[in-house]
This record gives sequence, C-alpha cells and structure tokens, in this order.
Amino acid sequence: MAEQKPEDELRIGVYICHCGSNIAGVIDPAEVAEWASHLPGVVRATDTLYACADSGQTLIKEDIKKYNLNRVVVSACSVRMHETTFRAAVSEAGLNPFLMEMANIREQCTWAHGHDKDGALRKAKDLTASAIAKARFLNPLTMIKVPVTKRAMVIGGGVAGISAALDLADQGIETILVEKEPTIGGVMAQLNKTFPTMDCSI
Amino acid sequence: MVDAARHPKIDVRTYTNVERVEGYVGNFKVQLREKARHVLADRCNGCGECSKACPIEVPNYFEMNLAPRKAAYVPMSQSVPLRYTIDEEACIHCYKCVDACGALEAIDFSQEDKVVWEDIGSIVVATGFNHFDPSVIPEYGYGRYPNVITAMEMERLNNSAGPTTGNLIRPSDQKNPQRLAIINCVGSRDKRFNPWCSNFCCMYAIKNAVLLKQMNPELEISIYYMDIRTPSKGYEEFYDRARSMGIRFIQGRPSLITEDPQTKNLFVHSEDVVLGKISELEYDMVMLNQAAVPQPDVDTVSSVLNITQSPGGWFMEYHPKLRPVDSPTDGIFLAGACQGLKDIPSSVSSGLATASRAGRILHSDEWEIEPIIAQVWEDRCVMAQGKVCGVCSRACPYGAIVIEEGKAASVTVAKCHGCGGCVAECPHNAITQMHFTDAQVLAQMRALLADRPEEKIFAFRCHWCSYGGADLAGTSHFDYSANERGIRVMCSARMDPDFIYEAFRLGAGAVLYSGCHPQDCHYITGQRVGATRADRLQKLFEKLEMTSGRFRIEWISAAEGDKYSRVINEMQKVIDNIPHDQLMAEIERLRPEMEKRARRMYETPGVDKALVYSDEMVQAITAKEVKSGA
Repeated sequence: MAEQKPEDELRIGVYICHCGSNIAGVIDPAEVAEWASHLPGVVRATDTLYACADSGQTLIKEDIKKYNLNRVVVSACSVRMHETTFRAAVSEAGLNPFLMEMANIREQCTWAHGHDKDGALRKAKDLTASAIAKARFLNPLTMIKVPVTKRAMVIGGGVAGISAALDLADQGIETILVEKEPTIGGVMAQLNKTFPTMDCSI
Repeated sequence: MVDAARHPKIDVRTYTNVERVEGYVGNFKVQLREKARHVLADRCNGCGECSKACPIEVPNYFEMNLAPRKAAYVPMSQSVPLRYTIDEEACIHCYKCVDACGALEAIDFSQEDKVVWEDIGSIVVATGFNHFDPSVIPEYGYGRYPNVITAMEMERLNNSAGPTTGNLIRPSDQKNPQRLAIINCVGSRDKRFNPWCSNFCCMYAIKNAVLLKQMNPELEISIYYMDIRTPSKGYEEFYDRARSMGIRFIQGRPSLITEDPQTKNLFVHSEDVVLGKISELEYDMVMLNQAAVPQPDVDTVSSVLNITQSPGGWFMEYHPKLRPVDSPTDGIFLAGACQGLKDIPSSVSSGLATASRAGRILHSDEWEIEPIIAQVWEDRCVMAQGKVCGVCSRACPYGAIVIEEGKAASVTVAKCHGCGGCVAECPHNAITQMHFTDAQVLAQMRALLADRPEEKIFAFRCHWCSYGGADLAGTSHFDYSANERGIRVMCSARMDPDFIYEAFRLGAGAVLYSGCHPQDCHYITGQRVGATRADRLQKLFEKLEMTSGRFRIEWISAAEGDKYSRVINEMQKVIDNIPHDQLMAEIERLRPEMEKRARRMYETPGVDKALVYSDEMVQAITAKEVKSGA
C-alpha cells in the first residue's frame, strides 16, 4: 500500500450518493457535488446513483488512480451501514482505509427532513463540508491484530443457548455453557409438548 | 439437553453466575461464581437418597410453585446434570442427607462458592425471558380466584411429568374442569403493562387447546383473543385444525372475571367483536396466557456485558436487519428471547446463527480491531517533567494507562478501547485519540458552524447510542429540525469541554451533549466521565447566565429515535423563543469567556493547521452560500 504523508498535497475526492430516491428524492446530489467541488482540497466531486453498488465503488476506485486522490469523502448513509464497505473499496485502490470519511446525509438528513427540502439541502452541504474538513486531517492507520483465545462461553442454558453451544462444540470449539439454575433447559424444559412437532420438549 | 451435557467439547456449569466480563474480542476474561451446592459433582450419582431423607419442603420454582421440593433437590427428574443441590436458604442442617448418602460421601457442607476466571474468545448471551405476573391486573382476579391460573401453571398441570402427572384439575376442588377459557394478551399489547406482542402466545394457546382437547374431547374450550397471529409455516393450518376440533375462538379482550363464591366457577365478561354483543359466559377454569417480559436481572446483565437495551428491556442488536444476532460489542452475540421475543424455532435459529458468527472469530488465529486508540505526546505530559498528575489514568475504565513517577503516561495498546475519555480529561492536552483528534473535530465544527451558526443546534453524539438514536429517528422518519448539525465521537467521555466552549464561541444557537444511558455505556464508565463533565459545564453556563436550554444534556439510546427527534425539536423551540437580537447579544456577551476557555485547545499539536484550513473552508462556504443565494 502506498504510504501517504499528511504533508502531501491534499487531493480529496467527494462522492454524493443518490441512494435511489432515498436521498435524491429530497435534495439534488449533483448540486451538493457542484458546491463541494469549490471547497479547499477538493479535486474531484461528483454524484453517483448508488455509491455502495459495484458501479459506485468502481467509480471511486478508478478515480483514486485517475485523480491521484489521497482522501475520499462519501456523503451517503450511516457509518453504521457502510463504513466498512467504503473502507474496503478505497483500500482495494491502494488508499489507506482510514483516509475515507463518510457524511451521513440519508438517516440523519433526507430521511429526517423530508418536510424541509431547503433545510435538508443546506444540512447535506454542511455535513459534506464537515466530512471534507475531517478528511483533511485524517492519518493513515493500521488495524491492530489481536490474538484469539479459541474458547467460547454461552450464558444461559435455555433452548437458544443449548443450540448455540452444540453448534460451537460441533465446530470443534471448546465451549462453557453457564446456567444460573441447577439444571439447563430453561423455559422449554418446563413445557409440555411443543408446537409444531407436538413432541416432548426435553 | 442431554446432548449438551454429553458433548466432549461442552463444559456445562450450572448454578453459576457471570459476575464480571473484561477484555475485548478474542480476549475476554469472564469471572464466574459457581454457587456452593454442598454436593460434590464428581461423587453424586443422582440416586436421590438425600432428597428422600430431607425433612424440609419448599415450593419448586420448576413446577411454578404448584408442588413442593425438598431442600436437597433436583428441579426435575430429568435435570441436566443429574446432580443434587442443597438449598442453603431452606436447609436446617439436620444432616439426614449426609447419613442417607452414606459411603458415597457426596455431601459436603464445608463447600463454598467458587470464583473462577475464564479466558474466552467470544461470548453468546442467551439469558432468555421471564413471565409476566398477572396478579397486577385486578379485573382478572389471579391470586384471588383459585381457578384462574397462568399459562405456565397450565403447562405443569397438563404435563405427564408434572405434579398431577398430567391430570388437569381445578385448584379449588381437584375436579376435572369441563369448561375452560383461555385468555390471550394478558399483560401484552396492553399499554398499562407491556405494549409489545409477546410473539408466541397465540400458537401457545392453540397448542394447549389442541392438546387438552385430544386428551379429553368433552372439554369445552374457548380462546378469547384480540387477533390470532399465525405468520409462520404451518401456523395458520394448525389454527384451522383447532377450529375444526370444535375449539371456540371469541374475538374480544375480557374486561372482567367474576367468581361464584359457592362453586368457585368463573364468569368471563367480554365483548364478542364478531357478533357485536356483550357476553358473560361461565367456566370451571380460566387460563391467563401471560405476557413474556425481560428477566428481572436484565440491568445487571446489561452492565456486566456493556450491552444496550431496546425499549422494554430487550438487548439491542447491532443492526435489526443486517446483523440481528450481533451485539454492539465485537465478539459478543445475542441468542434467543433476550434480544426480543421469539418462539422455539426462532430461538433455535438465532442460537445457531450466533454459533456461526462466533465461529468466524474463534476459527481465526488473530482478529483485527480498529486502531482508534489513545496516544500520549510524551513531551507534553507533565509526569515526564516530574510533576504529579495521573488524571488520564483515573479516567480510563480499562486500566490501560500506566503511570510511573518521572515518566510520561503510557497507553497499553491492547487494553485501550478508544473511548477518548483520557484525551478530554488531560489538563495539558498531552493525549490524542487516533481518528478523533482535536484537529479533526475542530475542523468539522468550524465547517458546520461556518454559516449562520446562531440558527444551528450543534449536537455531540456518541457512536454507539445517540448517533444510533439519530439514525433511528431518520429510519423511522421522525421529522426534526433541519438546523441540527451533528458530530460523532466514540463516547461522551471524548466530548472535551473545549469543544463545547468552541461551539459557543463560534456562535452556535444551542449545543446538545448526548451519549448512552449510564447502564448502556459501551466503555463501562465512559458515560459517567462524560456526565460529570457535562454537569460541570451546565453549572458554569448557569453561572454565566446563558439562556436555559441552549446547552442541553440528554442520554439517548440507539433505540430512542423518537427521543432524539423530540429533543432536537425542543431545542429548536428554545432558539425560536429567544428574540434574534437578544440571542446575538448573548452570543457576543459570552464570546470572550468562551474564547478564553477554548484557547487551551489551540495549543494542541495539529490544531494550528486546523485553524488555518478551517479559515479557508469558512471563506469558501460563506462565499458559495452568498453566490447560490441559499
């Protein structure tokens, strides 16, 4: 992976997602992209129909090479949704995954402000500018690798816990099944015959 | 059950509580308390002689307290493991059990609780649910009328392994009932108690009715229901079968049950919605199909494992659609009803799913975690200059910061979880957090508050809870003011007072300081660090006579989208209620004080560049805003 120096000339690529009509139904992503293209450090800004789709990811990856981008900003959905997707995408194009920043203009903008399209547009611009500002100061980072203790613990010896423990153990994993009562079985053991098989619950 | 106990790779630890969980994915340390059974597991052969000899009888929870057990007991004959337990609270220490056990010498009264630590790579939480107690519903008379029983009591009375060997009798006179009413949604879908549908009760009522009808075709059974929910494979067909067997379904939630004091028969008063009539029918026995509720110790389990709860007390999954069995903590998974009510097939499915999710980790030699950890600038740490400090170490919930006299504080990488509490607490700006540096946050803030800041509600949200709450507000389309501008940090512990001063210095109309509820905090005590600081800020702003409500502290979980939306709208009202001139005057009045206080942050390494860059950014934004006429 190419080493990015923070002092290198800043070359930020900005991608404003339509998410079909989820975002584009409320604001015009092309307008946000045009607006973002004037912000300091931005060398490429465009809208894209679905940033997370193959086509969207390919666009970002190709742009990283074509425009020699060293930061990527994706204005789309929640980081809880697609941060790993876009980190992986930029990483495939040789950029450190931590040099990608997202702005959440779907869950925290268009979905919450459908009643106020002008307000949503102003907010989408601000959130994008904020992500660009953070991107300016991002540093390349490396994931920390930790060892794994190959033992599992299942807390609760009811039907769900027993199922989990059996499947873990069948995978060859040593498993501790913890139950607070003197017997495992949980509620299911107290039941008479159970639907749908109408057979004994134990 | 037996398969689990027999499996060479499964170590079953019953009568055991989980007391503490430390560490992180791949490297958890779990403290277990194995309660003293006073029986040596390797000697007890399950013969039951101790129980026969025991003179003490107490109600057996397993039989829903309908039958007694001894102080030396197994909850049921098929207990796994089949090892007896001496109930310390009930035992009178007569030692008849010791004599009865004889040469086996399996009983040991000197046994004490054993506390052990286990090294664990991944944890599955499957702590289940509890049954709603219907005695709090006065109109149904449970607890007053002997022949009104719960579904779980019915389960035991109808069970060949139960106290009556499956002979269904009325508690009042031990006669077999001829007319039985089953009432659904008792404590479920009832806003007085629990708003949720308990998921499995419809099929459960039908199952019981079919079983009872098969055993005694003469038994008349009526099921009172609000809706019958049969969404899964074979469920509707089973409902059809019940109807064809002559089981009567009456749509209506009974409003009252009364009792004939002589016969102890019961009268169920209800509307029959289909017929549009009020009915009052006589039964020999009534079964209340009670709601399922979270376990009583759900808060303790939450705080031991640092997992969030959804409304109602179910453990919160990472993502309700895409990662339904993952908890927000990497390496901890959720199986069964503790995550949300499930019937047996769904509980088994979720259990199996967790085994697959945990297996991904446990089959790997190493696992990757995000490097968003704290780092000390040794030249700025006053400890290195021989001064006494250690504030960072005290703020760390994980003991990850090592303090030695005369040396700069140092962060143990593997122990740091990246809450950022130490960074915000350090009085000398000598610590930073990777990916959430002061320079990054400051640059973001300045971009967000570049244009007309006095109109903005500036919201600091923690990643795990309040950012998730804001996501849910959007997902649920709970509209709120578009003047909100949010910043995400990992924990409220990272919300540096300097950021708040800077936000007000920049002229923000209002500032929200939000994070997890204390018991939900992803970083054990991170929220408390943040909360203490936020309270201090609140007092300062009161002293400075800032308009009440311009600074607001709220703890909002990832499940509280409605709350996030409400809080932002209320903050918008606070701004709206201040005349614009007055607001601007207040911002100007407080600006010098805020600047004085925020200035400390400008000395943080890297912030100088952020200031230069954000000036350019602000210029570009304001120029564009003017140009586009927005």
